[in-house]
Amino acid sequence: MLKKLLKYDLKWCFKPLVVFYILALFFSIITRFIESLDKTLMVVIIDKICSGIVIAMLINILINCFMRNWVRVIRNVYKDESYLTHTLPVSKSKIYLSKVLTSSITLLVSLGVILLCLAIVCLNDTSWIALKQSLEQSAIFLNSTIFSLVAVLILTVFFEFLFVIMAGILGIIIGHRANNLKIIKSLISGFSIYMLLSICSLGIIYVSGFFNSDITSIFSNMEISSEAMKSIMLIGTIIYAIYIVVIYIISNKLLDKGVNVD
Amino acid sequence: MELVKCSNLCKSFDNKKILDNINLVIPRGKIIGLLGKNGMGKTTLLKLINDLLTPTNGEISINGEKPGINSKRIISYLPERTYLDKGMTISQILKFFEEFYEDFNKKKALKLLKDLDLDVNVKISKMSKGMQEKLQLILVMSRDAELYILDEPLGGVDPATRDYILDTILSNFNEKASVIISTHLISDIERILDEVIFIDKGKIVLTSSADELRTKEKASIDEIFRRKFKC
Repeated sequence: MLKKLLKYDLKWCFKPLVVFYILALFFSIITRFIESLDKTLMVVIIDKICSGIVIAMLINILINCFMRNWVRVIRNVYKDESYLTHTLPVSKSKIYLSKVLTSSITLLVSLGVILLCLAIVCLNDTSWIALKQSLEQSAIFLNSTIFSLVAVLILTVFFEFLFVIMAGILGIIIGHRANNLKIIKSLISGFSIYMLLSICSLGIIYVSGFFNSDITSIFSNMEISSEAMKSIMLIGTIIYAIYIVVIYIISNKLLDKGVNVD
Repeated sequence: MELVKCSNLCKSFDNKKILDNINLVIPRGKIIGLLGKNGMGKTTLLKLINDLLTPTNGEISINGEKPGINSKRIISYLPERTYLDKGMTISQILKFFEEFYEDFNKKKALKLLKDLDLDVNVKISKMSKGMQEKLQLILVMSRDAELYILDEPLGGVDPATRDYILDTILSNFNEKASVIISTHLISDIERILDEVIFIDKGKIVLTSSADELRTKEKASIDEIFRRKFKC
């Protein structure tokens, strides 16, 4: 049943996203092509316009990815379509799991498309060498390899964004437990959860400074050593992973208690 | 074992009692009319049975179990609103029902759709509200369920369509199954009812066999209802 739910959730979320992916890729290729032309005034103007469109498209993909997943939860779990969702012979935890997996997959694909578009627009021989060099330097600075550095960076960004989506979904679940002003209460709840946990993250990093002198130096001297950077990236990834698991469990428990559809 | 049993069931919204201490048993193989004026708690009761709302107090059991996956396998529910994804076509909706409900009879659904001259490639968003309601009724009645719950199936439709809806219900439900029809348009459905439940201000005020009630009161169910709930 999970597979079937996932299929319909993914279809719904990807429907408009695919259009934005195609547009973003199209304008990235156009921008790249224009950049290869002789720099006349007209070409420069068109190049600026295309670059602007690409940036707008990439931001649009990210925002749409977030919004689409939240809207899917509201419509599917609390609005008219919920009359079908909740009368399917499927447990509420499976319905929720499907939403979380859909969020993860759409986010991963969206991040992949964003990276691809950036690569199309920006990567050439010179920038590739520059990027490689800066990655190598960072890897040496962090006493790591380029591969693990890139992997940890992608994982941290992915967890951070997934945490935002899941905090939003938990906000929606809490907001819709009320009998009125559900959307406003959802927004306030989601934002509060995000802010509260973000402050907690800072607190945890600060407290971990008591046990790690490299981290203490960030707060006392505003200096970031390679060891401190590594520790922060590790702690950050672990914190977001824990938040995601905690939010998952709380949301599941709340949904399991039952829903009150509109 | 009774199909549905509600014990001391209460539902409140913001301290306002919508359902107050409902005790009710739905037997098997009957067509039951859940009758009451608008806003008296009919839809709330049906939503509770379908696990769309959480009771404030009391219990519901369906086939001896709390509402859940097993109850959803045997209940076919037609809500009062259109609940289909408007971006889908009829054929996609049919596939969706086939995938999720083991008891969904696609052949029956296609036959009923053919009777309505409906093209299966039409998007739901392109259909009128009336046609969407008919499609939902076809989907619900194409399941071989043990309990059909129809919430205001006649609400807001013309008399000719009412006849179509009643005929579809009567000719398609499994005879061992029960049907609960919630409505305030009693004269239209009176002829098909085996039992009636009157609900007023969140309380069950009368449950009876339709024939017994008619004989006892020497009047039609519609007249009895009008007398009882006169404003």
